[in-house]
Amino acid sequence: MAQIELTGVTKRFVTPSGTMFTALRDVDLMIGPGKFCAVVGPTGCGKSTTLTMVAGLDRPSAGRVEVGGQPVAGITPGTSFMFQADALLPWKTVLGNVALGPVFRHVPRKEAQAQARDWVRRVGLSGFEDHHPHQLSGGMRKRVSLAAALINEPSILLMDEPFGALDVQTKAIMSNELLALWEQTRPSVIFVTHDLEEAIALSDQVVVMTAGPGTVKAVYDIDLPRPRGAVQEIRFESRFLELHHQIWESLREEVERAYARTAQGARS
Amino acid sequence: MNEPMSTTVVMKARRRRLLVWAGRLVTLVIVIGGWQLLTSAKIVDKFFWGQPSGIVRQLNDWVRHGTAYGSIWLQIWTTFKEALLGFVVGVVAGVIVGVVLGQFRFVAEVISPYIKVTNAIPRIVLGSLFTVALGLGIAPKVLLAAVLVFFVVFFNAFQGVREVDRNLLNNARVLGASRVAVTRHVVIPSALTWIIASLHVAFGLAIIGAIVGEFLGAQKGLGLVIATAQNNFNPDGVFAAMFIIAVLALTAEGLIGLLERRLLSWRPPSPAEAIQA
Repeated sequence: MAQIELTGVTKRFVTPSGTMFTALRDVDLMIGPGKFCAVVGPTGCGKSTTLTMVAGLDRPSAGRVEVGGQPVAGITPGTSFMFQADALLPWKTVLGNVALGPVFRHVPRKEAQAQARDWVRRVGLSGFEDHHPHQLSGGMRKRVSLAAALINEPSILLMDEPFGALDVQTKAIMSNELLALWEQTRPSVIFVTHDLEEAIALSDQVVVMTAGPGTVKAVYDIDLPRPRGAVQEIRFESRFLELHHQIWESLREEVERAYARTAQGARS
Repeated sequence: MNEPMSTTVVMKARRRRLLVWAGRLVTLVIVIGGWQLLTSAKIVDKFFWGQPSGIVRQLNDWVRHGTAYGSIWLQIWTTFKEALLGFVVGVVAGVIVGVVLGQFRFVAEVISPYIKVTNAIPRIVLGSLFTVALGLGIAPKVLLAAVLVFFVVFFNAFQGVREVDRNLLNNARVLGASRVAVTRHVVIPSALTWIIASLHVAFGLAIIGAIVGEFLGAQKGLGLVIATAQNNFNPDGVFAAMFIIAVLALTAEGLIGLLERRLLSWRPPSPAEAIQA
């Protein structure tokens, strides 16, 4: 468990054509230890960039990123990252992929295998230990990714639209499973998504970002009680609908602005 | 699918396979038979272009009486040894340099123009240099073969390393992998597909290197046998040696194919392979 704090974070990139592109501008964000925070916003508002900076894969152009009171320098220890496309090694088996974290931390081979076996079981994939990723369905690969991310018992879990490519039913199942696993170890989570319902159903806090250059537009506390139970059912509760309505009002403006901009770009 | 239908599918597939093999056989008969007929009918001069029956006679003679430089097996072994040593040296050097340069962008940018230049010059000419410097023994042939192999393997290893999925690299780094661990668990396995693809071409080049090296000056080997046949106006001898080299190359190709299937067994079967299975 660690607190994540971004203060005045700005990120600029130089595009291949040589112009400067501002992805994030003056982002201030505080995520308390053990909190589940969802970030929503229109396409291209720098949500993913925020994650890479918290992970230490990238540096801000200005401002500070702190994790657990320490400024981020190099890879942030105790972090796990779940990418949009699954980052499984196709030449390793399910067990081999899940065991990567302990292997990289120099845990003895036997113990790493035992830990991996346990996590494969926890995500419900017992019996598939020796399969290769290409032999699994999209949902199963996500389970492997989830096990591989959680095996290090991270204090911070960064998720970049992890279930974006899944069908609706599988997504609901995976969301429930994620919540159940999260409640066991309670890492601080930043969950980037396009799906507002998913964001509200899972998180303690929903951050709405503006159309690029992205900055924090508003933060909503989600006061739905925990444990939440099935995400498919919570979305019919009146408080959920109320929150959804409120946040959507704010998000819609940004989505429309981003859309208008791309439509204009397409016309010119 | 019901039973009778699936049997017809199987039978169709088998008939198709038989037809393909029959077609291959007919092609072979037409080419070799045509050659034999054209030369016996004196439409094509066998003094210059050889004759299949003459080639068989030549092979038979080599096996029974040996060549001017000792038994034919010694010649084959010499060339094979040179090609194999050159291949191993070239592959090891190519993989190491490719993997290292692929990971250090700065070094890669500094030396990439020199690599391009080196790649553009006809390296086979280096054989003359090696022969002058290292004499008539095995060394210049091995070196020439290794140089030819090195560049092909190096380019593939280098490209393979640069094509590694960034997500996989980032994921390994976040999970706490050191630079060495990233190379071992992510970079090399990922580049292996490219490296192995290059090995097929590379062994052919190793044989070319060995033969050309022998051409330029040697005391034994198939290249020397070919050069001698050329000087004696013996086209059958040239073709016979060519045939032996082809058998050698095909055998090596088969072994590399086995290695490929073993190392890359994790890959999903490609559609073409799935149809054959």
